[in-house]
Amino acid sequence: MCDKTTEASLETQRVSPKATVEPSQYERKRVPGMCIKCKVIKPNVTIRRSLYCKACFVRTCVVKFRTALSRSRKNTTVPRTKLMVALSGGPSSSAMLNLMADFQRMELRGTEAQSRYEDIIAGHVDESVLFPDVQDSLISEIAISLSIECRITKLEDVFATNDEAPLFIKLVQSTLAPGALKDKICAHLVKTNDSISSKKRLQSLFSSLASATDREEMLDIIKTLLLIRLARKAECGVLLMGDSGTRIATKIVSLASRGRGFSLPFEVGAESSWFDNVVVYRPMRDFIMKEIAFFNMWTKQNSVVVPTFTTGAPKRASIGRLTESFVIGLDHDFSSTVSTICRTMQKLEPRKQALNSLPCLTCGMPVENDAQAWRSRLTVSKPLAVEAEPTIQSNGSNDVPSDEDGLVRADITDVVCYSCQNILTSAASGTTFPGATVDHFLKSKGPGDAKVDIVNAKQEALRKQIETFLLNDNE
Amino acid sequence: MPRQCEICNNARAILRRPKTGQRICNECFFYVFETEIHNTIVDNKLFKPGDRVGIGASGGKDSTVLAYVMKTLNNRYNYGLDLYLLSVDEGISGYRDDSLETVKRNKEQYGLPLLIVSYEQLYGWSMDSIVEAVGRKNNCTFCGVFRRQALDRGALMLDLDHIVTGHNADDVAETILMNLFRGDLPRLGRCTEIVTAGDGYIGRSKPFKYAYEKEIVMYAYLKHLDYFSTECTYSPNAYRGYAREFLKDLEFVRPSAILDIIHSGEAMQVASDVQLPTLAHCERCGYISSNALCKACILLEGLERGVPKLGIAKSARHAQELLANESAMKSAGKAVEPVHFELLRGKAQAMREQRQMKEQQQECHDCTATSCAFACDDDATGLCSSSKETRRCACADSNAETNAAAS
Ligand SMILES: [Zn+2]
Ligand SMILES: [Zn+2]
Ligand SMILES: [Zn+2]
Ligand SMILES: [Zn+2]
Repeated sequence: MCDKTTEASLETQRVSPKATVEPSQYERKRVPGMCIKCKVIKPNVTIRRSLYCKACFVRTCVVKFRTALSRSRKNTTVPRTKLMVALSGGPSSSAMLNLMADFQRMELRGTEAQSRYEDIIAGHVDESVLFPDVQDSLISEIAISLSIECRITKLEDVFATNDEAPLFIKLVQSTLAPGALKDKICAHLVKTNDSISSKKRLQSLFSSLASATDREEMLDIIKTLLLIRLARKAECGVLLMGDSGTRIATKIVSLASRGRGFSLPFEVGAESSWFDNVVVYRPMRDFIMKEIAFFNMWTKQNSVVVPTFTTGAPKRASIGRLTESFVIGLDHDFSSTVSTICRTMQKLEPRKQALNSLPCLTCGMPVENDAQAWRSRLTVSKPLAVEAEPTIQSNGSNDVPSDEDGLVRADITDVVCYSCQNILTSAASGTTFPGATVDHFLKSKGPGDAKVDIVNAKQEALRKQIETFLLNDNE
Repeated sequence: MPRQCEICNNARAILRRPKTGQRICNECFFYVFETEIHNTIVDNKLFKPGDRVGIGASGGKDSTVLAYVMKTLNNRYNYGLDLYLLSVDEGISGYRDDSLETVKRNKEQYGLPLLIVSYEQLYGWSMDSIVEAVGRKNNCTFCGVFRRQALDRGALMLDLDHIVTGHNADDVAETILMNLFRGDLPRLGRCTEIVTAGDGYIGRSKPFKYAYEKEIVMYAYLKHLDYFSTECTYSPNAYRGYAREFLKDLEFVRPSAILDIIHSGEAMQVASDVQLPTLAHCERCGYISSNALCKACILLEGLERGVPKLGIAKSARHAQELLANESAMKSAGKAVEPVHFELLRGKAQAMREQRQMKEQQQECHDCTATSCAFACDDDATGLCSSSKETRRCACADSNAETNAAAS
């Protein structure tokens, strides 16, 4: 009986959202052995100790998505715009694309016959440079089958020069005094030249990183960055990220473990306006992986397996891998762990300072003041006998020390977030990183309130400093 | 080929530093470990000169190293602190007896005065007798509540300004993770605070907040410190066990993770709704409490009435119901009425005044006699009454000026 309905499109199964969002007392009553919603059909799945038949389950998912999306919309003011759905091809983002396509169809069929979103576009980051086994054709097919246009950007595009990324960060570390490695991060800001392909650059970046944790983190950073750029380019004012509740819980724990507490509210929040011109929503936050798997199965939604650096590796392979196995285990033993972590942490407001912070040169997230000073007070690396600091460290942030070969280098410590400092300090010297927000330094903004002025003054000083570092790789 | 120390580039590296992975020598390890504690103390302004500071001493590695390092730093940097060892005897046979012996040896080794307060003496109940009454399931609740209060009682008996405890970075990171898993946002904000108010009167702090457990053990080992290394025989909270195991794995994957978590925790403090509850005191014992009866008094009441579940009741109403239902039950009757906090505070105040009087007596250099009655110094010149008589003398005048300038 239920099978028939799942064959039809999602909207035919819709019931009035209001009735489902706020079930009446009568509806809450359970009929033993029957679906919790319709109470007449034998259930097919148990989600959070509730039994659903196929049709009611799919319908519940549709309503849940719609509710999450409109709640995010209510919390942010976005004019009518195009919307991009980030599509990795994994189960969650594929389900999200399906649900969004359904949402758009319903909107167009509604009384106003006009959706609040001008158009829906899927955005995909092609990772084949690192994971050649993924069939990206399958991923565009997911979009095509839902009649949605799919824009693709390649991971290595992060090294293609454009207005948003005019310069890259080339680490200079070998010149620092030993034992003082962690006190300052120095780099050349370089333009790319064409003698090295972006692909090669990307591969060499990942092979220069010190650990699987660093590689994982870098990959996440680059993907987010590219999706934001892709959305801006497609003139989408809204970007949907497909993080499921399970994924968000895992992310919260791993972000916290990597020292990203300051930027965490922006990175997992239901909605975030941190990036210029693009608002990020996470409408899959109330879905757990199990729900997504059943939804995809019953709506015949295809998805692919998205590989990671640590797929199939033991749990201690990286922080990401470890956290994933831990959160799933904890959720198994204490069944509400995932939803508890998500619910509370999404209440966490970003601190005021964070809203006015400079964006990190590497990841684009807010940078705390004096993060490095905090660290060096607690990881003392100077010997007892040495009173004065080694020469390189005695330079204030505005000084521009000269290298022997005539190149200049910048002290970028203050514009790299605490967590990215971890990556940078352990990466091989000479590694070139894509700059997430180099454009921020080169662009000066119009004056705003007093707080913004301070930031701008700082940015202005940095910009002046950086202008003199415009170098070509082969200089 | 022996490796050189990555810090001094001179001596031979003998260890890999758990916190940073650097290969360093013995001396550099001591130096960086101690300096980071010093930085923590200075950056957070934990003490002021003349403070009387009690070191919560259990005889375990953390508090033993804490006592040693506090004494070392106090001498090295002239903090000007009066240090005391303050121990709580929970009355756990086998475990506590041996660890208290260690504390007593520490007292001699470090030359610090020691005060031991016991549950038995304060409340009439030892942990062994509590476990006998409540079983092993909730005994940690009792122990935690009683210990907290016992330390405050001890602090008042010594008239301390401050208590330091041996909580280390691993403990703090673990607590942050636990509050994250439990979704406890207010606690998540509070648990990273380095100074907490105890009785609302005596501050408590954790100078080891950023010190790795592994390094504390390493320090104790390399300094040959005398400590007691058995865990409490009554097992701790199981949920904490999950967090602990996860933290150990994280530390393995990335040694800086413990510090990174604390860094995250500090950044995740809930800024806006830090609304301190209004200070109220327990009707029975005068301890700081947001309810009519403090947690310790409720637990004691439960023990006395033979309803030990009372204190671990889920809500205040539940507790009231339990009380009403079981009120007919006969008292198990160990009844020691805990000394009222007002009394303790009063005694502490009196001790303070007495000390101040002594100090001020010495300040009067006009007369060599130390017995001059200072109470009559109502114009606050810092001179005793007999010296005031001879004020016209030039030397007395200059003395009066210096005293006024000093105050
Ligand atoms: Zn049904
Ligand atoms: Zn960053
Ligand atoms: Zn050394
Ligand atoms: Zn009380």
